[in-house]
Amino acid sequence: MDKDYFMSSGIIPPPQPLHFETSMPNPWSSDQSFFNPNPSIIHQFPHFDSSWTSIASSTTAAALAPPSLAADPGFAERAAKFSRFGSRSLNGRTSPPPMSRGSNPPAAELSTPPLKPDGSPPPRNRNSGENSNGESSVSDQIPAKMNSRKRKAISRGKNKDDRSNSPKEAAADGSSKRSKQSENCENEEECNKADQKPPEPPKDYIHVRARRGQATDSHSLAERVRREKISERMKLLQDLVPGCNKVTGKALMLDEIINYVQSLQRQVEFLSMKLASVNPDLDFNMESLLSKDMYQQQLYPLDSSIYHNQNVQHQHLQGTTISSVDPLPLDASLGIDGFSENLPQFPAFTEDDLHSIVQMGFLQNSVQNQTSNMKVEL
Amino acid sequence: MKARMQMSSSVVKQEFFKKWIKGMQIYSAFNKEMTIMERKRAIKLSADVAIASTRSATTQWSRAVVADVSTSAAGAARAAAEEILGRKLPERKALATTCSKKIVRRSHQRRSKAAARGVVRSSAAIAKKLVRNRTRVLKRLVPGGKKLDEISLIKETLDYIACLQVQVDVMRHLAAAAESLDHQQISF
Repeated sequence: MDKDYFMSSGIIPPPQPLHFETSMPNPWSSDQSFFNPNPSIIHQFPHFDSSWTSIASSTTAAALAPPSLAADPGFAERAAKFSRFGSRSLNGRTSPPPMSRGSNPPAAELSTPPLKPDGSPPPRNRNSGENSNGESSVSDQIPAKMNSRKRKAISRGKNKDDRSNSPKEAAADGSSKRSKQSENCENEEECNKADQKPPEPPKDYIHVRARRGQATDSHSLAERVRREKISERMKLLQDLVPGCNKVTGKALMLDEIINYVQSLQRQVEFLSMKLASVNPDLDFNMESLLSKDMYQQQLYPLDSSIYHNQNVQHQHLQGTTISSVDPLPLDASLGIDGFSENLPQFPAFTEDDLHSIVQMGFLQNSVQNQTSNMKVEL
Repeated sequence: MKARMQMSSSVVKQEFFKKWIKGMQIYSAFNKEMTIMERKRAIKLSADVAIASTRSATTQWSRAVVADVSTSAAGAARAAAEEILGRKLPERKALATTCSKKIVRRSHQRRSKAAARGVVRSSAAIAKKLVRNRTRVLKRLVPGGKKLDEISLIKETLDYIACLQVQVDVMRHLAAAAESLDHQQISF
């Protein structure tokens, strides 16, 4: 539906390969990796930024042309229809629906991964603001144009009406947050569009460009920025918390998050209890034996090899995992150990066992070489 | 990118494991014989400080964990934490917080009165209330979350969850290893 508008308005739809965000979730889900800044994605942003600004400037220029559609009565119905559509399309575009990741609008995608530390909100917000400006202007060019002209004539009372209606339909959707976003968008569309060229709003240190047709008062802008930040982060959390993909809306998401955090904390308690109840000879003495001078010896030369081997031999993962899961290859794999001879018989046995078993866990993310390094380390 | 992510994850796991073991060693150096509860506490504390130190005080929750330890811990715990972190912990006295019961009771009454009087509000307001309650719960769960605003709370939660996952993962493997060792020894 939106695509039609693109075609008819003669604007090239945004370049499709904006799905780099989809590549993001995979590392999260595959292993439990971290909230690390990822420069490779960030570098892609400026590229799209330039394309968006060019589109934005072209559409705003085009939108300036027809002035006199104000008092058309038939316009009223059309505008009303399009306003409803506009709100929905904006709804689908600007507010982040968690499920439709692939079809997520570019602006939302672009502003989504807050991978940089918060030391750089100004550039990011500027990007997101500009991108969303461009995007909304592109997508809603036709309905919004008519909207704005029409809305100038119709008083705000109608919008208040819309505002009261849309919560109901949003409540039916079950996400009130989204409704507020959409209604704000559709209301504010007129005010700002009325100025044709929204002047750079006098801002505090966070520079956000108001979207087309949105109110420029600092409160709503700050609100919007805040909401966007929150929704970005909630999306990241979705990737981290299992089983959160189907959940939409802040309240449910928070519920899932709380449950997950509680379960993790309880697991830690339980596991520490379990470890404490293990045969006392094993645990603390074991630890001391494990990390004695042994790992000092061969740790450093092998450190560099860890990083190489992991990337290179990623494919051998499966094979090595399976082989190591074989019950306790006592002497075979562990004859390599430098220190197995140093220890008396009994501790050597237990220690090697422990190593091999610990390897099982660590091997998920590492390669055989690395595990041998780790054996030495430990 | 995937390989990079994986690498950092297992590197953190190793780092955590080493620090954790170090902490436990300090404990066992302090007293050879510990009851099971003491041991559990030692294990948990070492694990918490170790995982917090992998973040090297960049996040709020890790700082809160360390601060918590420095106020409430004594003796062996303190030494273990210092060893893990590699620095001395400042001496701190726990702040005594007292709530005047009268004030708390009055505020609760006022709130319940308003709630009883109000009819069912709009769904948006209900949703807001839910979100607010849950945010409060989350603040309680995440260490140091009480003084965070909503945005940074979510950010901290992200990091905290990731680190908890690491912690649970490593602990689980160690527990499994120790358990099978146990079985083996018994079978012998």
